[in-house]
Amino acid sequence: MPCQFCGVQPHSVKDMANGADRLAKVDPKDLMPLPAPYDTDEFRPVIPELKDSAKETYPSSASLDGVIASGAPQPETPEEEAEIVERFLSGLHKLFSKENNWTFLQPLTLSMEHCARCQSCVENCPIYEASGWNELYRPTYRAEVLRRLYHQYVRPGNKWVKKFQNNDIDLNYTLIARLYELSYRCTLCRRCAQSCPIGVDNGLITHDLRKLFSQELGWAPKELHEKGTVQQMTVGSSTGMNSVVVKDNIEFIDEDMSERVGWDVVTPWDIEGADILLLENAGEFLAWPENHGCTAVILNKAGINWTMSSEIAGYDGVNYGLFYDDVQLARIATRHFQIAKDLGVKKIVMGECGHEHKALATIADRVGIDLAPRESLLTLLADIVKRGKLKLDPSRNDFAVTLHDPCNTVRNLGIVEPQREVLRSIAPKFREMTPHGVHNYCCGGGSGFAIMSGNNFSEWRNLMSARKKFAQVLNAFGDEDMTTDETRKYVCAPCSNCKGALRDMIDFYGAKEKSGLYYGGLVELVVNAMPDTAEPLLDWDMM
Amino acid sequence: MSALHALVYLSVLIFLVACVARAVRIARAPMHLRWELQPVPHERPGKSMFETVDWWEHSLDKNHFGELAIMIPEILLLKGVWEHNRSLWFPSFALHFGLYMLIGNMALAIVLSIMLISGVSPDAGFGLILTHAIRAIAVVGGALGTVGAILMLVKRASDPGLSKYATPSHYFNLVHLGAIYLTTVLWAVLESAFVADVSAIYAGIFTLRAIPALPIIGIVHIAVVLLFFVYLPFTHMTHFFTKYFTYHSVRWSDEPNLPGGKLEKSIVKNVTQPVTWAAPHIGADGKKTWVDLVSGTGEVKIEKEA
Repeated sequence: MPCQFCGVQPHSVKDMANGADRLAKVDPKDLMPLPAPYDTDEFRPVIPELKDSAKETYPSSASLDGVIASGAPQPETPEEEAEIVERFLSGLHKLFSKENNWTFLQPLTLSMEHCARCQSCVENCPIYEASGWNELYRPTYRAEVLRRLYHQYVRPGNKWVKKFQNNDIDLNYTLIARLYELSYRCTLCRRCAQSCPIGVDNGLITHDLRKLFSQELGWAPKELHEKGTVQQMTVGSSTGMNSVVVKDNIEFIDEDMSERVGWDVVTPWDIEGADILLLENAGEFLAWPENHGCTAVILNKAGINWTMSSEIAGYDGVNYGLFYDDVQLARIATRHFQIAKDLGVKKIVMGECGHEHKALATIADRVGIDLAPRESLLTLLADIVKRGKLKLDPSRNDFAVTLHDPCNTVRNLGIVEPQREVLRSIAPKFREMTPHGVHNYCCGGGSGFAIMSGNNFSEWRNLMSARKKFAQVLNAFGDEDMTTDETRKYVCAPCSNCKGALRDMIDFYGAKEKSGLYYGGLVELVVNAMPDTAEPLLDWDMM
Repeated sequence: MSALHALVYLSVLIFLVACVARAVRIARAPMHLRWELQPVPHERPGKSMFETVDWWEHSLDKNHFGELAIMIPEILLLKGVWEHNRSLWFPSFALHFGLYMLIGNMALAIVLSIMLISGVSPDAGFGLILTHAIRAIAVVGGALGTVGAILMLVKRASDPGLSKYATPSHYFNLVHLGAIYLTTVLWAVLESAFVADVSAIYAGIFTLRAIPALPIIGIVHIAVVLLFFVYLPFTHMTHFFTKYFTYHSVRWSDEPNLPGGKLEKSIVKNVTQPVTWAAPHIGADGKKTWVDLVSGTGEVKIEKEA
């Protein structure tokens, strides 16, 4: 067992199949430094050791880096082990067949066959950098494992020629279990893909690895599958709320919002022929109810004919299938499209949820025909503000504001300007992060990480995948006093999962108390700038 | 026709057939789900289609000059490597640009050979300029490429980030390219008849006329070049043309699926294929298609899996 204060990292790709107790461990002193006042050892804690029960249940998964995001079922006999290897190989072949993976066969094959191994992508990975450049988290590491397996088992040809061109790797249960776990050490932010001169996409490789495990072996984190897509399609929402509960919650939110703004706020339900079907991340209704409330205030004030749907999955825009399973993705997206069609709306407007934007607007664009048009709330919001439909007083937002760009909204859809147009008109102390827009850094909660917190995974997330974003946030407020909570700093994150990651990150580093760091969405800032509300929308004590 | 003629024709044929076969294999893959990666340069500068209200009611004209503005510096100057892997840039640039120079030189040599075939003297006027240019470019391009190949070899072997992921073929490719470059330089510097020999080779290939006896260095050069032609289409170095697909068919592929649009036929073809994924929640039996599995969500048995 490695010392908890010493770093360990794999020496080569082949190590994935070795029998070591621990393939990698990050030494706290190697973690990427943070700006002051977070530059002390206090902010480089050790990731807690797994409980013995977790190690006993998932010994092979635990042997990756001592962290478990999901955990691969451990075989009890050599026969079971051999069967898993066989099923994995079967899935590997299906991943490269046009019937089973028409969804991504072409881009995946291109990425498998044309990487020059130049490593130009690696420094763009926030996890690899935050870890202090630990080899295990190099974005090409897991991609190289799959690439070797692809050439070894899927491509035709002489084995010596294949070895000459692509090296080889042992395939055993240990490798499979570790690879499954390792596919959940990447947020699929695709910064690495942006920097590849050839166009190879390690994010896609990770995405398709997850698919192989889910679609063939039935392995997926419970937060994404059982509590995520399955619950959404059976109960109605990944939050577990059925339509009765959600309507009750929204009614409560409307009442609360009515009190706060001083006029009646009503959310319309199931209005046939409405112009807009509003599809938000239902997590908002529980975690950040004012987000829905503010959206309702704005749409009503702007005189828009909109509705929500109480059909199963019709009031929850999340689609975790995007992160791990194309069939689940298509099922949920198809359901969303059908609901819009049944209501006869002109378009679906996607609320402040980044992955919903990607799942519904682009990825699911080719899962069927005659699909309802989709539009971002950010785009609509900028239009509402630009047209002067709302009376706004920017001085009500007289505090420092920075903007976090959700990866899916900017890097996939290219929606960069609308949210800035709004902020420039309502937040006089708005400043950008560096870099931002399409070259942003992930919040650390991408690809489902924001809702995954089993075992010691949330500590790993806060230390590794969220660390770069935290550094970016601190730097954005570099001209403010970060040693006091008296001056408030607001991170505007128009995305539910990003807000979840920011909430955990701010808690983890104690940044609210230490630096006055707050987070929230964009619509909250808009309503806070409305001069005619009974009270300012932002209640700092409650945030 | 000599053995050299036959080898040249065969090598070029293998090169072309293998490259076309690879391109066809990629191009014939089913239309995939959208996976574009911003910035997409054919969209209006700084303006994604999704930044416009009711974008589907507006024209989606593509600005292909925007694509060229990205691709030209990327291909010629390796802009991506410059921005993201600075220490590798010069070795890689030298390796690639040396090749571009030699490919350009081939074109000049072909022009000279056509002049020869046409009976135009290479000893005066434009022919003389071409003669001097071909030798100079061969020396400069070959030297640049040689330096690039050597530096890349050193980087590959000494940088742990590169060496851990290097395969035997990476080293072989660099040695092979280095041999092409070095023999170019040596032939151009050591042999006064270099340009005459090269243009005579092309003239011989185009007309089946006899190719004059070549110096040893010339024979070695031709041998490594022909081997490269035969070998390249089977390696990752085909990125010189597959990059078209990675950019145009994936990264910049943002064609929306509009009602009645041209994508519908491909979509229907895709979703009517049978599925064999084995996880229980998929509900596949090898006969049910994507449509069956996706639209029949309520009927699919969803159970807790291992």
